[in-house]
Amino acid sequence: MTLFSDTSHLFVRSLKKLFRNPILLFFSLFQPIIFLLLFTQLFSKFADLPGFLQLTGATSYLAFAASGIVLQNGFSSAFQSGTAMVDDLKSGFLNKMLATPVSRPAILLGRIFSDVFRVIAQSSIILGLAFVLGASADTGIPGYLLMLVIIAFFGIAWSGISLALGLKTKNSEAVFGIAAFLTFPLLFMSTALVPPSFLPGWMGQVSQFNPISITVDGLRTIMLPGFNIGKVLTAFGVIGGIGIVTMGATLYLFRKVVS
Amino acid sequence: MPAVQVENLVKTYGDGTQAVKGISFNVDDGEFFGFLGPNGAGKSTTIKILTTLLRKTSGSANVAGLDIEHDARKVRKLIGVQMQDTVIDEDLTGRENLMLQGHLQQMRSEELKERVNELLKVVDLGDAADKRSAYYSGGMKKRLDLASTLVHRPRILFLDEPTTGLDPQSRAQVWSYLKGLNQTGMTIFITTQYLEEVDRLCRRLAILDHGEIVAQGSPSELKSEIGADRITLGFENGNPGTGSLKDKAKQVLGNLGGISEIVDSDEGIVIYAKNGGFLVPDIVRAFDNAEIKLSSIGVSSPTLDDVFLKHTGRRIRPEEIDKSRATGVFGRRRR
Repeated sequence: MTLFSDTSHLFVRSLKKLFRNPILLFFSLFQPIIFLLLFTQLFSKFADLPGFLQLTGATSYLAFAASGIVLQNGFSSAFQSGTAMVDDLKSGFLNKMLATPVSRPAILLGRIFSDVFRVIAQSSIILGLAFVLGASADTGIPGYLLMLVIIAFFGIAWSGISLALGLKTKNSEAVFGIAAFLTFPLLFMSTALVPPSFLPGWMGQVSQFNPISITVDGLRTIMLPGFNIGKVLTAFGVIGGIGIVTMGATLYLFRKVVS
Repeated sequence: MPAVQVENLVKTYGDGTQAVKGISFNVDDGEFFGFLGPNGAGKSTTIKILTTLLRKTSGSANVAGLDIEHDARKVRKLIGVQMQDTVIDEDLTGRENLMLQGHLQQMRSEELKERVNELLKVVDLGDAADKRSAYYSGGMKKRLDLASTLVHRPRILFLDEPTTGLDPQSRAQVWSYLKGLNQTGMTIFITTQYLEEVDRLCRRLAILDHGEIVAQGSPSELKSEIGADRITLGFENGNPGTGSLKDKAKQVLGNLGGISEIVDSDEGIVIYAKNGGFLVPDIVRAFDNAEIKLSSIGVSSPTLDDVFLKHTGRRIRPEEIDKSRATGVFGRRRR
């Protein structure tokens, strides 16, 4: 019972902190919106390339790239989760919480739920903007909901990486650095922004095993015509696998800090 | 039943450092207890263990009659903890900070709201209650931090250097709050560098050095243990830090009778002697004969400072900490 109320109080705390630092929110939304508005325009002629429309089923490059941009936003905000944890560790606030009878798992859960809330809110804004720009999900409202569920789980799994890093290094620059180091190779060696057959040979091979590609395929099959439940399930499988590893590491390191 | 009961407490860190080497002491219920020692003596380690934040290596420790490891959860409900640094959530208002703390202590909302209003008045933050605490001055933040440890009406309050870094006015305010709390029956366990306040407020104290308790008792007991006046000698060239002058001076003093102890100090040399005043002419004459020039000579009855110096060989100097860390009442916020 206390787990539930403690989690909700800490969830509210995290949200308040988030909304009282609008600059942070602005910058994390700024990049995907620029991608949506400018990047898709920059590469809009992609759609004219022979085979693009048939291969992807998309009506425009925007419709194709929207799923990739949503996902990119998902993992850049997941990477901020660890820095918030480092802040609490360093300021002593974590110790202050630990000196109260607060339920220990609630400290992690409050953090994770606020991240999920955030990633869902941001994804909704991006998908809404894509809709206004003319890229709507082929599967309608249920499709949108399913996409948000995928992104939420993706967010949890990937925030586990930054949480574990934060708990291990106790250094937010390190978390940021490693996040930046991972972001672009993972993004560019994936099918987030380019269809697989457009990638050079070796990159195409690598991208098949890139969890970003697999998750993006799950989103894209919802967004574009030709819904394929298998791709959605595969995405969930990969997210689940990653989540077990990252959350396992987070739990292990958290318990070490707590005891 | 003692509020705190510690027996043979040992803490060895992973790298082999022995921070606490088997200490034992008791704090009575309702006592104002000072826990003193030079930096690195093991004070913070002990406080962290007693407040369930750190695991002990061996020995036993009870707080409010409960085992700190077996009954950690119950202990946490009965204690309030203030850490060395001011710990508040600067994104939240003063009121929100206190409410959150009460929620984490599983207090009921109705009771909590009233309690928070009451506390905000007590620590003089009524007007700023709904402002973000990031905009508070250093003194206000410290008061909010203190209030947040009191929300659930703890029976025992642990404070690690609660007034370090505060300007004198805020410091006096914090001490007067603590005195008031103690008068309502709350047990207070405090580490601090301010010996005058310890002398005034603490009923008993323990001095920790290199992880061991080197003295404990009431301030007057400890002072009378010294059993001598204190004579401070200053030398012409300031501090005779260079060995030879100091050694020579000590030799001179060694040949004089009636001295119970000679201790090095930053200001020169401190001698303890019964009826010290009568010894002054002898000292002056002896140094004159040895052609060592004295720049000052002072006689005083012993203070806690002397007790501390006697047992640790060091002097506590809170002023130095203040200079590097002070944030005044009107201090700018650090981010």
